Amino acid sequence: MSTTSGSVQTPESGGAVTTGGGGTLARLRRIFVDTPEIGIVLAVFVAFAIFTAKNSDFASGAELQNLGVDLAGFAILAIGESFCIITGGIDLSVGSLTAFFAVAAAWVNVTAHVPVFLTFVIIILGGALWGMCHGLLITRLGVAPFVVTLVTFIFAAGADQALAPNPIPITSTVFLSIVGSTVAGVPIAVIVLLVIALVAWFVLERTYLGRQIYAVGGNREAARLAGIPTSRRILLVYMISGSCAGVVGIIVASHLTSGTADSVSGWELIAIASCVIGGVSLIGGQGRIIGVVAGAALLVVLQDGLVAVNVNAYYQQMVVGAVLLVAIVIDRLRIIRLERSGKRVRRVAEVKATTPVPAQDATP
Amino acid sequence: MAGAGGDLVLTGVRKTYGPVTVLDVPALVFRGGEVVALVGENGAGKSTMMGIIAGAVQPDAGTVAVAGQELSGGDTHAAQELGITMVSQEFPLVGQLSVAENLLLGQRPGKRRVLVDWRAMDDAARSMLKRVGLDVPLRRRVDSLAVAQRQLIEIAKALGREPRVLILDEPTSALGPTESDRVLQIARTHAAAGGVVIFVGHRLNEVRQVADRIVVLRNGRLVADLTPEDATEDRIVREMVGHELANADELQRPEADAALVLEARELEAEGLGPIDLEVKAGEVVGVAGLMGSGRSRLLHVLMGSIPSTGGVMSLTGKAYKPRDVADAVRAGVALVPEDRKVQGLLVDSSLRWNGTLVILRRIARSRVMLTPRADRAKSREIIESARVVCQTTEQPARSLSGGNQQRLIFGRWMAARPHLLLLDEPTRGVDVGAKAEIYRLIDEQRRQGMGIVAASSELEELLSICHRIVVMRNGMITAEFDRSEFSKEAIIAAAAVDRVTA
Repeated sequence: MSTTSGSVQTPESGGAVTTGGGGTLARLRRIFVDTPEIGIVLAVFVAFAIFTAKNSDFASGAELQNLGVDLAGFAILAIGESFCIITGGIDLSVGSLTAFFAVAAAWVNVTAHVPVFLTFVIIILGGALWGMCHGLLITRLGVAPFVVTLVTFIFAAGADQALAPNPIPITSTVFLSIVGSTVAGVPIAVIVLLVIALVAWFVLERTYLGRQIYAVGGNREAARLAGIPTSRRILLVYMISGSCAGVVGIIVASHLTSGTADSVSGWELIAIASCVIGGVSLIGGQGRIIGVVAGAALLVVLQDGLVAVNVNAYYQQMVVGAVLLVAIVIDRLRIIRLERSGKRVRRVAEVKATTPVPAQDATP
Repeated sequence: MAGAGGDLVLTGVRKTYGPVTVLDVPALVFRGGEVVALVGENGAGKSTMMGIIAGAVQPDAGTVAVAGQELSGGDTHAAQELGITMVSQEFPLVGQLSVAENLLLGQRPGKRRVLVDWRAMDDAARSMLKRVGLDVPLRRRVDSLAVAQRQLIEIAKALGREPRVLILDEPTSALGPTESDRVLQIARTHAAAGGVVIFVGHRLNEVRQVADRIVVLRNGRLVADLTPEDATEDRIVREMVGHELANADELQRPEADAALVLEARELEAEGLGPIDLEVKAGEVVGVAGLMGSGRSRLLHVLMGSIPSTGGVMSLTGKAYKPRDVADAVRAGVALVPEDRKVQGLLVDSSLRWNGTLVILRRIARSRVMLTPRADRAKSREIIESARVVCQTTEQPARSLSGGNQQRLIFGRWMAARPHLLLLDEPTRGVDVGAKAEIYRLIDEQRRQGMGIVAASSELEELLSICHRIVVMRNGMITAEFDRSEFSKEAIIAAAAVDRVTA
């Protein structure tokens, strides 16, 4: 069959890539359209620069370390959340689950006298187990993820009170060092975040598991008919999200030096907001870890920065809401643009160099 | 004064979307008193041309004129003023209103100024229905009527505007033979009264029957302007496609001693069976049957997608009892599903992701790690071998045409090198040329010794590509035909009537 498209070049971008003649502006625009995450990363730096200009203390070592610890909590939750959202689901429980695990970590370590490292293992496994319950209810009984995790959200919110009506002071130096100590100036919590982010990126973008997780979110029926064990993948993402809540619970307990966790309320929404800002599609099938971490970073910088420049707490929430709105609008505009041009071509340059021209007579 | 004469003249009409020229017609004249059929594959530019003539699409260049009066492009109202009326595939009737109200929508027959003059309205409506030979109560709500009746009402409504140019866009696709004949008759009558009739159709026999001229579009260009005498069906198809279709008669038989790929005995599942089925290496077995006869269900049970409740299966001699689709894939079974958008593709993901979806572990290092290089190389190979026409491996699957999407799914499964390939409606919704390509892909796989089971509602398709056809009814196989005994009538009878033995 004869076709009109005999060339690999994309009409919009082909020229710019080979000759540079398309203009830097067009080129920048294309990069932005192809990798929306860049915009978020830029926004983080811009926000940071503005707050530093207003209050030079904001960029001081101590402030940065605080910022880092706050970021670790938000971003690790958001990473776990992003796995669920990528499969087309959602995990509403992570906020109160984090609070529960913060209390549970203190209780296991202090009240039950379990060694610190074993405590960490128990809490993280507990998170995985909790997530597994989510996954089983979703895949076996077909309950909507929203409902399942809303129910456990409510349950966990009561469970931490029941476990420890009064704060349990943590004394273990190892436990407290997670937030209190630094390696080369970097808080251990931040190092934990970096490791988790790296592993999450690797799993999503460099393993068959990650690709299958995207496929489940992109089209569950097609994934099933392609031989992907969709139920097991869904189970896995809720276990990941639960484990992340466990990790953040440990960080929070360490941060507050005792097992109370009032400050955690509303973190599930921050986790979801980080994903949305970072370009994770709520329909599923799309989103990248870099965007999620950048989304969390933007929220942390805004939150801490607005405090640093003495903005009223009410305005802080309004600002965060406004940022979310802007992120959503920009994302929609980008998608509409792409749909109009009829193609979503990533990394045209590298593909251009390597893609074949599948022609009629290319193969016998 | 029905359809006062005057030619419709297109001069230098061109339309591009981005870099793609979808229509480029230097000159085309539709004469008054003539029925001109417009044919072409999907995407050949027919709809664009219709849209431009009806004023719905703004051309980039060129003019449209009726009886010397030029149409200002992109204005449907202006087109109607010039007497251009289009009856399209959809039925934009108001379902809640009555037949008469629909026919006279926007018109107010009679002398009353505020109230509706029902008597005048009924008279007008009755005479409109008479022209299309339809007899339905004027007060009936339109949504209670059959599709065919609604189509005729739509035509009556169009004729009521006394159009100089009447465009019929696949007017018979929803109609049975009797109603179709009536529509052809209406077209002829309207032309005989001096009007221009443009008839867009897919059924070539109808086209040849009704038209004074047959205009063929391909890739936005006018490639043929034929008289009915010249326009044999072969000739029309050749012009539409641009090359000869592969002749399916030279279907090579599988070796007599070819090994069995699939053997199913007393296979049962909910709403299915018991079924006995054998497929040899290099054999294409067709599954015919009416809707709901269990065609798709059989394939899904073979694929492990619907659990079987009884019977035994073996695949290439080994016991085969898939618990889920993953099991079936591991055992070497592949399914190209019926609805590629719902069941096959990740429409928003790249061709690369779609192509390598079922062989991810095979191309992964240590069966876990995907390297971008291996991923890209493999997806290119898949796209090439399935002859998917595309710009890059990174474009989303939704940007491909239906035929190319289908080839992409073929390529995906071919890369998995299955023993048994299950095809559910392999060419549904793809155009003639893409069909031929898909048949070629099927034949290639067959030659490599794959066993193929193809379910299709298009009997012609099965007759041309299969060695053997089994006919299903109520979840059971009711008849089986070898290629030497193929007969359309016998197969249809077996599908529709209880227990017919071949």
